[in-house]
Amino acid sequence: MSHDTHHAPVASKLELAPERSDLGLIRPDRSTGWADWLTTVDHKKIGIMYGAFAMLFFLVGGVEALAIRTQLARPDNDFVTARMYNQLFTMHGTTMIFLGVMPLSAAFFNFLVPLQIGARDVAFPRLNAFSLWTFVAGALVLNSSWLFEFGHLSGWFNNFDWYKSLVYTDFAPANGWFSYAPLSGTFGQANAALQAPRFTGVGTDFWIIGLQILGVASLAASFNFICTIINMRAKGMTMMRLPVFTWMTLVTSILIILAFPAITVALIELMFDRQFGANFFNPSAGGQPILWQHLFWIFGHPEVYILVLPAMGIVSEVLPTFSGKSLFGYPIIVFSGAVIGFLGFAVWSHHMFTTGLGAVPTAAFALLTMAIAVPTGVKIFNWLGTLWGGRIRFTPPMVLSLGFIWMFMCGGFSGVMHSAAPADAQQQDSYFVIAHFHYVLLGGVLLGLMSGLYFWFPKIFGRMPNAPIAYIASGLVILGFNLAFGPMHYLGLAGQPRRTHTYHEGNGWETWNYVATIGAFILGIGIFLAFANLVWTAFKGKKCSPDPWDGRTLEWSLPSPVPEYNFARSPIIATRDAYNEDKYGEKKIGYENDGGEAGIHMPSQSWMPLVAGFGFLMIGIGMPLIAMGVPHAGWVVISGLSVMFLGILLWALEGPGGYMLKTPTSSSPAPVTANTSSY
Amino acid sequence: MFSRIFNKVHLFTISIFGILVSACSRDDLNVRRSTLDPKGPVAQMQFDVFMDTVWLVVILFALVGGLLVYAVIKFRARPGQDARPKAEKGHGNPLIEIGLITASIGALVFIAIPTLNAIWYTDDVPAEAIPTSKLSAWYPQLDENGKENYSKELAGDVLEIDVIGKQWWFRFEYPQLGLTSDAKHTVPNEIVIPRGKAVRLNLRSEDVIHSFWLPKIAGKVDLMPGRKNKMWIQGDQAGHYYGQCAEFCGDSHAYMLFRCNVVEPEEFAKWVKEQKKEAAPVEPNSKAEKGKALFAAKTCAMCHNISGHFGAGNFGPDLTHIASRRSLAGAWMDNRERKAQLILETQTKNTESTMPVDPAVLKANLIKWIGSSGTSHGIDGKPSKDVKPGNRMHYYKMFNVVGLNESQQKFTAEELDCLAEYLLTLK
Repeated sequence: MSHDTHHAPVASKLELAPERSDLGLIRPDRSTGWADWLTTVDHKKIGIMYGAFAMLFFLVGGVEALAIRTQLARPDNDFVTARMYNQLFTMHGTTMIFLGVMPLSAAFFNFLVPLQIGARDVAFPRLNAFSLWTFVAGALVLNSSWLFEFGHLSGWFNNFDWYKSLVYTDFAPANGWFSYAPLSGTFGQANAALQAPRFTGVGTDFWIIGLQILGVASLAASFNFICTIINMRAKGMTMMRLPVFTWMTLVTSILIILAFPAITVALIELMFDRQFGANFFNPSAGGQPILWQHLFWIFGHPEVYILVLPAMGIVSEVLPTFSGKSLFGYPIIVFSGAVIGFLGFAVWSHHMFTTGLGAVPTAAFALLTMAIAVPTGVKIFNWLGTLWGGRIRFTPPMVLSLGFIWMFMCGGFSGVMHSAAPADAQQQDSYFVIAHFHYVLLGGVLLGLMSGLYFWFPKIFGRMPNAPIAYIASGLVILGFNLAFGPMHYLGLAGQPRRTHTYHEGNGWETWNYVATIGAFILGIGIFLAFANLVWTAFKGKKCSPDPWDGRTLEWSLPSPVPEYNFARSPIIATRDAYNEDKYGEKKIGYENDGGEAGIHMPSQSWMPLVAGFGFLMIGIGMPLIAMGVPHAGWVVISGLSVMFLGILLWALEGPGGYMLKTPTSSSPAPVTANTSSY
Repeated sequence: MFSRIFNKVHLFTISIFGILVSACSRDDLNVRRSTLDPKGPVAQMQFDVFMDTVWLVVILFALVGGLLVYAVIKFRARPGQDARPKAEKGHGNPLIEIGLITASIGALVFIAIPTLNAIWYTDDVPAEAIPTSKLSAWYPQLDENGKENYSKELAGDVLEIDVIGKQWWFRFEYPQLGLTSDAKHTVPNEIVIPRGKAVRLNLRSEDVIHSFWLPKIAGKVDLMPGRKNKMWIQGDQAGHYYGQCAEFCGDSHAYMLFRCNVVEPEEFAKWVKEQKKEAAPVEPNSKAEKGKALFAAKTCAMCHNISGHFGAGNFGPDLTHIASRRSLAGAWMDNRERKAQLILETQTKNTESTMPVDPAVLKANLIKWIGSSGTSHGIDGKPSKDVKPGNRMHYYKMFNVVGLNESQQKFTAEELDCLAEYLLTLK
């Protein structure tokens, strides 16, 4: 088709003559500025956008967290109302998991995986852009619920008939991030219009459709990464030579593909209960509320590993670099990651020890939960082995990675305590659990991801973040974090239940709640400082060499910032830690004789992923509008579906396109620069 | 320069842990809902398993953490060293790996055995607790005729209590002893159990999922709609205990609490007899009599039962003995003199000791609670803050009851006073 209309190689895409796609539309290949970012299919730009959105939503979720802690600082406080508090913790959990940690991990997947395996892009560049814009649509749907809540509180809707007939007026979701049915569902019998009475308002509908859209984005991205890692590796890059971060990306992507169908089914069932009078979870019509919990947690527990494995991959890259040694026990680290992924599907009922499972299932899930501690412990032993005998340089990413090991270890220990089911009967749904999973997800995952940000930022932008500020921010984060969540272990054991917006004086919880709030604000300042440092660096930071850390993997062999085609010539890999061997060992990186006169083939940019993502946004806003009873809201959903299908159809019909870029005049590999930083 | 300062960040973290641990005093273990101060065999068993895990974790933390600190200090890059370590090669040591994996599994067996033991122990009343807990073994005769309070067939059973969760309060029923909805005698929010006897709880919910958590006596089990759960509890020390719903159940989840009185068996039997008494007639021409009329006129009687006075309602809590209970509104409001209670707890060093109900506090609580409940209510038409947002009192919109309207829900200060006076007579 259009492949025979290739141009002669050009030095820059701006020299291209406007090319028409198979549909006769002009391709946005020559665009610059914001149009370039909106239509890009470059995995590096998509990764940067994922990262920027993730950091934005981290700040949103962080503000929600600080509001929660302010409310709990004193007993009988009324900083926010009960309902607002419930909405805050629901949106805090949902935001941090789905809009913070997962997209930030996706940012690393996008930016790094092709560079680490020696590829020029991911397998499906336009699908990658589709994942990004669908994620943004889902995030906007979830957070637009705050706008409706604000409108409700300000009285904007007072004159509308549909508003007057609402029984419940919570517009932002208020069910908690696991939205247990039947609180999130229906009760009693559905009427002729297939509407059954509910316990909550349209906030839950925003939550359902928002999560469903985010699931589409995650699934599309995961298929893309699996295809990329299996098929696009450079010559000689065997599976057991893959950098550990790429391995963890592969395991995570497989987990997403296996885990998300469970939540997809559960969300559809819940949506049918609420909007079409089905009775999956409605106990008064024979439904089973416990079914929701099984479906949710068989997704929800692997989700924990979806969050934590990428951070483990990052730490497994940072520790060898700054110890000057290769990773201790590479095969064991890789296999334990895979075992964690596998066992992660066999422990979901430990979230349900108090639901009356019976003695035998409780025992089985308690033992399996203990078993999953073994591969996790193995990773910590191997990280320790990596440090042993090394030359440890305390750079900002290393400080954060060591912080990860400490905090994750503490979180793992309290996890082992939960696996003892009888002890868990006292701890479940108390502040002890809050402490446990924040040690894993904040002290663990967030420190790991921040470590990754500080580690790869020089590669992404070619600029070095300010080190003193990075140290101060890391210190504040680690201090504030322990001050905020350490006391919660005690508060939980002293009987404070989670998800309660206030408590009376006289229970002995006053002091430590106050301390926790102070810690939370220190933590907030630390994270803000760390992020602000990065944003400033991206625009104004000091330029640095392409290999400032004395890196070990392939991405450090490239110039910074990385050119749009990644590798002028595709590398040929002879060993693990290829770039380190290239610099110091016998086995140099070879280069294929591609590129040359014919140039490098670049994929065409496209508007269609953005159009399809916009369709999802319309569907996502339209479904809750139907639930509110807004007249003609069904048409918004139908138009949204049409836009989405049209976007995908045109994307399929526009043809792959593409153009050729000239290889740079000095097509030999970049000279070895082994200059280490001044740390 | 900075690395010199900040390689101590991790030692610093440990010292924070030290400070946090040492800042906890013994008094912190004996707070009202402490799980570290068990007062019954179920909580004791759960506490013992917890302590097993604590010991294991402390030892592992010291070992792994110690090695980590050692490695970070010992192997830090020093000026003047070779830039790269000699032991560059080394992709692991299979013997070390296998040894560590085996040791981890061994450590887990150490907690797996008590865990399995405790799972079966806490699942249902264990055989060793049954002989002394049978009703025939302890339920005292109530009068000289030798009349007991339960049928002969039940003599071999342990006491069973039905726990029913609703948004946002608990209802307790004692089917063997005739305290049930059908008999118009139910016990809201304050469960009473005989000291030293195993009691089986049957847990149900009438709307969403709730959870029964009484930290000093037993860990939680959920109340699932459409499903029967069970647990067993036993209180070994008489006193007033504090519990809470532990599963998020909607707007006012934080206000869904309950109390538990552990009393001597003789006292328990007397209490049951007391619960079956009907409300005494009110004094004629008193405020209380006006209040009783208001109780009907303001539609309170549609949901609330007061045996001997009103009998139509069973949706809301039974108010026949409301003035005898130490708490109100799902145990969120306390009917005791607050300061005196705190002083008593400090003096006796025991959070289970309790002051009696203070009628003045109870009255103020009743006025605040009734006067501010619902969505569009307040005393004399002035809006006031909900004590329990979203509570079902006055929330008629949800039920679509024909004939209910807002004007029936408004109160003047005088009306509230009369209503409170009436409720105060219900001991």
